[in-house]
Amino acid sequence: MERAAPSPGLLQPGQREIELDVRTQDVEINMGPQHPSTHGVLRVLIRADGEIVTAAQSHLGYLHRCAEKIGENVDWLQYLPYTDRYDYLAAMNNNLGYSLAVEKLLGIEVPPRGQYLRTLIVELNRIASHLIAFGTYGLDIGAFTPFFYAFRERELLLDIFEKICGARLTYSFIRPGGVFNDAPPGWLQHVEDFCRQFEKKWPEYWDLLVENKIFIERTANVGIIPRDLAIAWGCTGPMLRGSGVDWDLRRDQPYLVYDRLEFKVITGVGYRGTVGDCFDRNYVRMLEMVESLKMVRQCLDQMPEGEVSHPDVGLIIRPAPGEAYVGIENPRGELGHYVVSDGSKIARRVRVRAPSFCNLSLVEHIMPGTMLADAVAIIGATDIVIGETDR
Amino acid sequence: MGALSQKFEDNVLTTKVDWLLNWARLSSIWPMTFGLACCAIEMMAVGGPRFDIDRFGAGAFRATPRQADLMIVAGTVNFKMGERVKRLYDQMPNPKYVIAMGACATGGGPYYKFGYTVMKGVDRIVPVDVYVAGCPPRPEALLEGLMLLQQKIRRQKVVRVPKVAEIPSTPSIA
Amino acid sequence: MPALQRDTGWGPMQAYFEAARAAHAALSQAGFPVELHQPNLPVFAAEGEAKELAAAHKEGKHLWRGDAYVQLADRGRIVGLCRFLRDQLAYQQIIDVTAVDHAAEDKELWGMYAFLSLTTKLRLSVKTMIPKDDCRIDSIVPVYPGANWHERETAEFYGITYTGHPDPRHMLLPDDWVGNPLRKDYKFPEEYHGISCV
Repeated sequence: MERAAPSPGLLQPGQREIELDVRTQDVEINMGPQHPSTHGVLRVLIRADGEIVTAAQSHLGYLHRCAEKIGENVDWLQYLPYTDRYDYLAAMNNNLGYSLAVEKLLGIEVPPRGQYLRTLIVELNRIASHLIAFGTYGLDIGAFTPFFYAFRERELLLDIFEKICGARLTYSFIRPGGVFNDAPPGWLQHVEDFCRQFEKKWPEYWDLLVENKIFIERTANVGIIPRDLAIAWGCTGPMLRGSGVDWDLRRDQPYLVYDRLEFKVITGVGYRGTVGDCFDRNYVRMLEMVESLKMVRQCLDQMPEGEVSHPDVGLIIRPAPGEAYVGIENPRGELGHYVVSDGSKIARRVRVRAPSFCNLSLVEHIMPGTMLADAVAIIGATDIVIGETDR
Repeated sequence: MGALSQKFEDNVLTTKVDWLLNWARLSSIWPMTFGLACCAIEMMAVGGPRFDIDRFGAGAFRATPRQADLMIVAGTVNFKMGERVKRLYDQMPNPKYVIAMGACATGGGPYYKFGYTVMKGVDRIVPVDVYVAGCPPRPEALLEGLMLLQQKIRRQKVVRVPKVAEIPSTPSIA
Repeated sequence: MPALQRDTGWGPMQAYFEAARAAHAALSQAGFPVELHQPNLPVFAAEGEAKELAAAHKEGKHLWRGDAYVQLADRGRIVGLCRFLRDQLAYQQIIDVTAVDHAAEDKELWGMYAFLSLTTKLRLSVKTMIPKDDCRIDSIVPVYPGANWHERETAEFYGITYTGHPDPRHMLLPDDWVGNPLRKDYKFPEEYHGISCV
């Protein structure tokens, strides 16, 4: 793979270009909470010397919805709809994380068809989530068309979800003990049709955005996160893989049926810049869509017959006393649920380890030294969901 | 309308002027790009190719409140954000409209009971014209809300004096 | 390192038990006052378990299921323990820092730390007790910078002071918020800045 050398005029983090004829002074710029490129209600305070960012500070909490307190006050199953709402772009993944944590305390295993159905739908949701990431990243960078492309395909996916659970965004489909219901007749065929359709469309995105000269100029060599920094700051998911770390919970700590599926873990390779830049993070997401599609196909091929839910789990769940942590690979990174039970029908503690929360904590440290316009590119490449950072 | 607003009695001329002004207003509602939570994704879907809010003349999403007529409060408002919502609303030029999209903006939604930071409805800080139910509402529901708002604008009296009974009572601003 | 063996629907289980045992052995050899806690119920529920649980509860026996963890008796040594885990046992990543208030009448909070190793692919949970009347513990940010925001969040939710934290501001709640919401004895506010909360 060819590597373009960094352009000579580019500023490395920490390095400053001194222009004698331009007198600049420090200005503080307040981005957000209402700002079109902060993906919701994130607020970033940026101190800039002329056009160069010298310091950045994120302010969170504009969408704090007390999810963890609610978890301690409602029944185990009643909490499930709240899991939909913290990472609303990948609600199936959130349902899965919480359900697995509760199942760990219950000590039950979901029947094979349920597990395959879960894997399949979670991967479909990953594609939907990455489509939004790709579309809105285009918007941030200044390209409007990818957004329409992404939403066109996303609507097809939402039709599939709607057909199986009735909701477009907040599904509550995967629940402790299995899934809500079996696939309706013709649903698997519908998924297969989507795969065929999406396969043809995906190269269009690649040509439209990823190989676009303007896009490469805006993202390659911008916001570089070195490998060690990414690990030390607890980054996970595409942020970590974009920095060249070969780590994926689906392969390394397999859950559901991932150990029976074949897929590649995509890492950033510096395709158009340095390893770990904004381009690489987007590159990982783009290629992950293809891998997810592969997994969906394999799930369709291997789908067994039988029950989809464990028969013993009713509406009132009383897990054994204990505590359990389950981390799963969400589209944004490791989504962890740490639940504590005392044997009653209400949890003692539901802790959500949100991937975008941890990924975002690094952003203010890689911003200094970049240009002001690149701040938008860096925030966009992090692909945060504010519902999740604030919970 | 400044000096001319609500000065004239009903007659053929003023009715026609009002009709024209209202028609212009309702056919080019410019919403503000203002997504708060989950509902914002459905709002984006409304702007996307399948639902296409542009058919109703409301597709020009503005990034600044100074150019916007409509604030779609799409998502949960908490106390920290509430002050900002109020400030954004105050910056919008008249005439301005608010759609409360979804259960949270309408009345706190699923966070009503245990959400200690969640404001139980955005109507506690800004006056709301249309409430759209759902969690999150389907895009069709938001479009219906928009059409209801257009109906409301169609009935407005711009240069004519409204009858006393028609003057809406000022919503209480806490 | 090959991937861990998946032995349950929610992921590897035996490997983590062994990781906790190994970490406990290494830590106690290095002189840390640690204790290993292992669940005493089987990984998978047996037939009629609910009755068994109820009976055990009556007799005062404590049966529990889930993860094994290492408990640190002296909370003052948490930074040293983290440094040991990072440098000697290759737990490069901090996954989570949080606390648990088990009951309002309890005298102590649980301080929880979750670590992940990218090389050995193992996980480890460490628990330490923080008394409510002296609610402070050393910050582990010098060892794991990724703990920064987690500690800020836990601090405002539980009223824990992380001594030596470089940036002890509020994380999610407004600056003038009163109370620590995730404490079990937290009273929901009546109004905030003149806006009614109910």
